[in-house]
Amino acid sequence: MFYSQRVFCGQLTLEDVGRRVLLAGWVDASRDHGGLIFIHLRDRSGIVQIVFSPEVALSDVCRGAAALRSEYCITVSGEVRKRLEGTENPHIETGNLEVLVTELTVLSESDAPPFAVSEKAMVAGAQSAGAESVAEDLRLQYRYLDIRRPSMRDNLVARHRIFQCVREFLDSRGFLEIETPVLTMSTPEGARDYLVPSRIHPKNFYALPQSPQLFKQLLMIGGMERYFQLARCFRDEDLRPNRQPEFTQLDIEASFIDEEFLYDLIEELTVRMFAVGGIALARPFARMTYAQAMDSTGSDRPDLRFGLRFVDVTDLFSSTNYSIFRQILQRGGCIKGINIKGQSERLSKNVLQNEYAREIVPSFGAKGMTWMRAEGGKLESNIVQFFSTDELEALRRRFDVEDGDVLIMIADPSYRVVTSVLGQLRLHLANRLGIIPAGSFSPVWITEFPLFEDDGEGGVTSSHHPFTAPERTDFDPKNVEELLKLRSRAYDLVMNGEELGGGSIRISDRSLQKKIFAALGLSEEETREKFGFFLRAFDFGPPPHGGLALGMDRTVSMILQTPSIREVIAFPKNRRAVCPLTGAPSAVKNEQLAELGLLNLGGRDVLPGTAEGENRIDHLSWVSRIGIAAEERPQLEKVLSQADELASLAADKAGAEEPMATVAPAANRMRPGTVEGQSALSRDQLLKSAPAVKGNYFKVASILE
Amino acid sequence: MDSIFFYRSPENSLSGGGPLQGVNIAIQPNISVASWPTDAGSKALANFTALEDATLVQRLRQAGASLCGSTRMSEFGFGLEGSRAGEAISRREADAELVLDLTGESRLAASRAACCGFKPSYGLVSRFGVVGLIPSMECCGLLSGSLETLREILKAVAGPDDRDFSLPGEEIPDFSPRPVDPQTTTVGVLAEAQGELNGGHKDAFSASVEDLNRAGFAIREISLPEFPLFSLVHNIVGSVEASSCAGRYDSVRYGQRIPGARNWNEMYLLSRGAAFGPLVKSYLFQGAFFQFERYDAYENACRIRARLVKEMAGILSQVDFLVLPAVSGASSGDPASITDLYARFSLTAFANVTGQPVLYLPSATGEDQPGVQLVAPRLSDARLLDLGGHLLTMGKGGN
Repeated sequence: MFYSQRVFCGQLTLEDVGRRVLLAGWVDASRDHGGLIFIHLRDRSGIVQIVFSPEVALSDVCRGAAALRSEYCITVSGEVRKRLEGTENPHIETGNLEVLVTELTVLSESDAPPFAVSEKAMVAGAQSAGAESVAEDLRLQYRYLDIRRPSMRDNLVARHRIFQCVREFLDSRGFLEIETPVLTMSTPEGARDYLVPSRIHPKNFYALPQSPQLFKQLLMIGGMERYFQLARCFRDEDLRPNRQPEFTQLDIEASFIDEEFLYDLIEELTVRMFAVGGIALARPFARMTYAQAMDSTGSDRPDLRFGLRFVDVTDLFSSTNYSIFRQILQRGGCIKGINIKGQSERLSKNVLQNEYAREIVPSFGAKGMTWMRAEGGKLESNIVQFFSTDELEALRRRFDVEDGDVLIMIADPSYRVVTSVLGQLRLHLANRLGIIPAGSFSPVWITEFPLFEDDGEGGVTSSHHPFTAPERTDFDPKNVEELLKLRSRAYDLVMNGEELGGGSIRISDRSLQKKIFAALGLSEEETREKFGFFLRAFDFGPPPHGGLALGMDRTVSMILQTPSIREVIAFPKNRRAVCPLTGAPSAVKNEQLAELGLLNLGGRDVLPGTAEGENRIDHLSWVSRIGIAAEERPQLEKVLSQADELASLAADKAGAEEPMATVAPAANRMRPGTVEGQSALSRDQLLKSAPAVKGNYFKVASILE
Repeated sequence: MDSIFFYRSPENSLSGGGPLQGVNIAIQPNISVASWPTDAGSKALANFTALEDATLVQRLRQAGASLCGSTRMSEFGFGLEGSRAGEAISRREADAELVLDLTGESRLAASRAACCGFKPSYGLVSRFGVVGLIPSMECCGLLSGSLETLREILKAVAGPDDRDFSLPGEEIPDFSPRPVDPQTTTVGVLAEAQGELNGGHKDAFSASVEDLNRAGFAIREISLPEFPLFSLVHNIVGSVEASSCAGRYDSVRYGQRIPGARNWNEMYLLSRGAAFGPLVKSYLFQGAFFQFERYDAYENACRIRARLVKEMAGILSQVDFLVLPAVSGASSGDPASITDLYARFSLTAFANVTGQPVLYLPSATGEDQPGVQLVAPRLSDARLLDLGGHLLTMGKGGN
């Protein structure tokens, strides 16, 4: 039998019973029942049990089977038969079948794998080791074994299905998949670029794209009308647990469209992607303005799977006698609260006062928290006596209070503090109380973001990027107060408190673009320098256009409900942005740096001691960082040639003795009364003999020129 | 001529009680005394003021000694170029001096001053607070006209120190004096150690051996054909350790900063380039060469060192003491060269390689005659002083 006749393990069905089949794959697990050998044979499609019986197979086949170990790569042929009643295995797809082997070929042997690949128990009811207990770095180091595991395989298959679904759907809507360059110019996305040095143009660098933003807009100006790309993007950002230095985003841009077109398109696409994972999303998705989201959840990516929405009660206390509230309101502050329905049993006075008010809320950034519990038709709290009956009654009505409810309120002169702290509390309480329904998905569009943010220096910066269209065009670019109130035509798609993606309608009118740059305080010269090539394109009839980008790693991870996005990436970096499999990033040879013109980062043309065929005095001067004058060279030449002779003499005279570094080896000693890394001497003393001091520190030359 | 002192202590320290009461000791500026300038003779430590007392200093003070100042020294005490060691004793400015012995400096300084010079066993005396250059070989040497003073100083300073991580965990030997019986004592004479002597020095040494013989000691000729390898090992190992040790002189915490550096590396190159004198700089380049280009040479030297340590131990199990000349009289003519240094120290460097205690005893016949080095097994320092005492008394016509 030949490979062309091969069938897949996981695809055998009862219809195949009686057929002779050729199978190929890996030994997942084996059991030896005194001569009768059972093996789980695994290929990408699944697992089937194969049986070696001395009654059917020749003795050397049975001997071969006995020598099989986990992860050996084999082919077998034999006859499919139905398993005897009571021996079926519900853990695998083909649990009612087995293949009675007559021929066996070992294609390659395997070392003992560093962790168990097998996930499917061989008998009904038994447990099999999972990969949960294996250190993630070990899994990543042997990723090729890790992805043999059925659960990882399922993730990669599902990712493929989702990507296929994206391509088919967008193709059906007239979108073209167009690739944009990976070696490109730095774009204004705000994170750090990964740079790639150019050998042809020494000291010049390409940047890896943080997103194809400029190119996709140029494609619109180029008349491509509808574009998409599953683009690899790169951002050199600080480490975060669920972030990768490179990631895949679905990049979409379309011309002659408005927000409604995109909402419709993306909602349909999202519904289809989640359907691949068996998750049904209802359309249309909810929408909230940025202001509503902040007002009611304290976040621009609200988790709407549960309630706990904010209620504003500022107006109820306009003439309160409670001095803390009164002072806050006098300073223009606000008071918001949450009614935690029916949780007073789990949120005792002690928990509210000692945990939340004393510990948790201050750590979130507020000075204090007001709480009240509804019991016996009354509100009770440690400060309830400071409020009037009218105020308490108004609270009961505003929060729709019933017995068993708990009210928490944050009051602060700053709206930002109130919403931020209450937003963190909202998530903290939801997790603590376990009120987030499992397996639920709540998509929401967040719209009408502020166009600008305060830059802290009396000016503004773009919240998104400077090509985002504003909601109106009649603003004064010099009026900072007005600019900060302007809203943009940007939108984010948020699911369960995570931002899946975002985008905007772009500016397509060059005079408006100039006005935005003026608002940002950029001169014409600066804009030309930064975005010259891009702005020039807008001189040639740009169409109105807009688009969006979806983080696909995060989306797939959410659909498959994996604990991290690394579970849905074939070869991810670990949490420290390192690839344990290849060892990247790694040092490179000086020669390679020299070729790229990168050796002179310290400001010299060539660092001494690194050039090829360099004088050894220069080399030694460099490695020991001792400068030399020209007149010292002859003397050093002489002592080095003497050293040469000493080295040859030592080589001549050395015997087989173990090298001895000291005649009296040091004993273990602790310096009594000292603290590691800390001198007993004062800072003044330590600085006393320094040749250059600045303030309380040694003064040194800069590391780079 | 300028003062032999680099620094003189202003305090006329009237010492308290103790075995060293009234003993006036001069040190070198490579031994830390809090608030004393301590530049170890190098620009690399220019203007450095010690922040605390070396363990040596603490112990000397506890024993009642007074420290009168520090004498001018060669750069890091390596060689005797520019050193005034020994002069404080010959001019009666001090009763004793501490002189770091890296290659034999304390013994040759004693020879210059015609006093006793003692290099203790390696690892016996704490080096905490001592600015060194060759950690596996150097040892604080003691100079004095009186062997009894040497013994008292050694008793005061020897022994473990929690602050010195390099000390071995050995038991402190007994330093009390014991009589020497020439009839049961054999003194070995190393044949190879006389090869380089010129006529006059050779005769003087023969006369010294003859004196020993006449005093009743059994004399045995010993051969150590590998004697010339001591200088080889010392040069390779010493330069590597020096190169490593001198890495700390960064012109940041102490020393001189040469202005004009555009960056960190240039700061090092300029400041360190100006910090070291010609002899030390040559030595550091040799060390860097062995470290970075011929590491095999360092390993080979350590192998030879192991063999030499074994051979010396073997010899000192056959005889009670060794006697050999100290002053080779050789010179290459360039006092700032490494070749010259090893020529001058060719008869003393062995003890730094193998760690034995050595006593330089001046000639009994006159100050212009060179004295001898007496060598004992490691940690037999007190027996060496016993022998020295016996010979001195005998030379004065006593016994």
